[in-house]
Amino acid sequence: MEQKVPLATEGNPLMHYLALLLGEPTAPLSPEEQTAGMAAYQAFHAKAGSAIKAGDALTPSATGVRITGGPDAPAVTDGPFAESAEVACGYYVFEAENLDEALALARDVPAAQHGAIEVRPIYHSFDPEWSSADGQWLALLLESPASAHTPGTPEWQAEAARHGEFAAAAGEHIGGGAALHEPTSATTVRVRDGKVLLTDGPYPESAEVATGFYLLSAADRDEAVKLASMIPATTVELRQLMGVSGL
Amino acid sequence: MTNLDGVFRREWGPAVAALARWSGDLTVAEDAVQEAFAEALRAWPRDGVPDKPGGWVVSVARNRALDRLRRESVRPGKELAAVVDDIRARTDHVDVHPVRDDELRMMFTCAHPALDPMSQLALTLRLISGLTVAEISRALLQSQSAVGQRITRAKNKVRHANIPLRVPPAELLPERTPHVLACIYSVFTEGYWSTAGPSAVRDELCDEGVRLAGELCSLMPRDRDAQALAALVLLHDSRRQTRVDADGALLPLEEQDRSRWDRGRITKGLDRLARAAGATGPYLPQAVIAALHATAPSWQDTDWGTICAAYDRLIEITDSPVARANRAMAIGFRDGYPAGLAALDAVADDPRLAGSNTVISIRADLLRRAGRTEDALKWYRIALERNGSDAARTFIHRRLAECGGAD
Repeated sequence: MEQKVPLATEGNPLMHYLALLLGEPTAPLSPEEQTAGMAAYQAFHAKAGSAIKAGDALTPSATGVRITGGPDAPAVTDGPFAESAEVACGYYVFEAENLDEALALARDVPAAQHGAIEVRPIYHSFDPEWSSADGQWLALLLESPASAHTPGTPEWQAEAARHGEFAAAAGEHIGGGAALHEPTSATTVRVRDGKVLLTDGPYPESAEVATGFYLLSAADRDEAVKLASMIPATTVELRQLMGVSGL
Repeated sequence: MTNLDGVFRREWGPAVAALARWSGDLTVAEDAVQEAFAEALRAWPRDGVPDKPGGWVVSVARNRALDRLRRESVRPGKELAAVVDDIRARTDHVDVHPVRDDELRMMFTCAHPALDPMSQLALTLRLISGLTVAEISRALLQSQSAVGQRITRAKNKVRHANIPLRVPPAELLPERTPHVLACIYSVFTEGYWSTAGPSAVRDELCDEGVRLAGELCSLMPRDRDAQALAALVLLHDSRRQTRVDADGALLPLEEQDRSRWDRGRITKGLDRLARAAGATGPYLPQAVIAALHATAPSWQDTDWGTICAAYDRLIEITDSPVARANRAMAIGFRDGYPAGLAALDAVADDPRLAGSNTVISIRADLLRRAGRTEDALKWYRIALERNGSDAARTFIHRRLAECGGAD
């Protein structure tokens, strides 16, 4: 009598997930540790293959910039930032059929062994195919959990319209980006002693939650800051990408 | 109408599970089945209960879901609009019957480890057991709005993060099944160990925990840990009626009237236990301990040696400090109270027990039994200073009185 109508799993378009690599700031690594770290990431990239649509390491947060107040009254602060205990050290965009697949990728990210990977379903991507993700800067859009709007609501739609204006103004400087589902749909992944530990929700040590991100191309740092200042968000954390080869 | 209550309770879980498979969405499924039951409440007293009430509910629910999706699809900005054409195109010609696998799928989805354990529990009680939000809030001692938000948030996460509605593939089963077992066990323990809340609600949770464990055994007949869990809840549950005295105060196992233990539950539990041999999880040693108590002729003639061995095994598996503390108690009965106190000293400083009354209560009890009344009184008073449940405090007051230390 069993009918074959598994609508949830059949023919659904693939999902995209943002994986934010988070960890305590660490002491500078020895050359041996750096070599071993690179090898671990190369092995992960080889295993994950085409499931990785974008990704890079971030330069240290001390070299980053935070912009608060939104486009009308942007206040720019140079790093390091005392108030943020956590430090994002990299990101990936995963393509996966469902959360199980995304979590299987996240647990293999080397940073999961000592830090944490926050896995966030993507609501809407700038380029749905993620075919030409490009840029030298990551602009992370941050809100307090209370001020993060739920995608699809009128408040969110109003904000999306302002992002449309930003996209029109920034033009080809935008190399990719996405709006994220609400923070409560996040799952945080840690691996300790070979055991996978999942937490329901965003990285708990963060005071702010990411609601979206842009990849920006800019001739120099000043231009990147100028672009990021135009983004309609309470806080934008602008971080330079390392340009790790092979991605 | 009581017979309809029975039908609702039986058909709710399978119907929601079937609709979830059909629609791919927990909220659509829950709302549709809810509407179908409301319709049944009108139609069945008038027309009689249909031959196959489950099929009736599912087919009405499916039509209600399609009606709703059609309505929603003409309103702009609605999230469900995107799926409506898809569902309509695929399913207008398909009849949906509840199948057993649907229920297993739901158990794994509700107990997905990307949902926190309290959300897993609330979702299971709502979507599988069919408890209302009001009933769940009474059972978990939380406000209705908190429980309602928790369930809504969990269903949204399933949808937005795309937690798959499925039984996980074989390679994931070893890490996922323990979450299902733990979730079912917490349904039972919320009813069994909780001393707050109305007793009718607690009874319902106990019954539901026993039922779900049995269901899981028939859905995963080769899973030995499921058998061990079913054995454990049956054996505990055999003592449900004797755990409290006529005044509602907790009665320790030692003082319970063994002739009133539920023989049927014990027999079924022992049968499950026999089929659990080889289980590797934490439920088997706990079920062994429960079985030794259930079959002992008296507290004095309990097989403490084997109970100690079962605790050793449990500690091997879980490294639980609570298990170590309870093992010290069992050692006290096997080797004498000083030996029990020595074993307790070894776990007393475990930081995981900081703030817990477990070690203090066991120490007081061992001291009392060893005849060191003054020392026992001291520790009972310390236990009392910490905020325990009312039932626990009532019990400590009783012990204080027995030791001649009533205030």
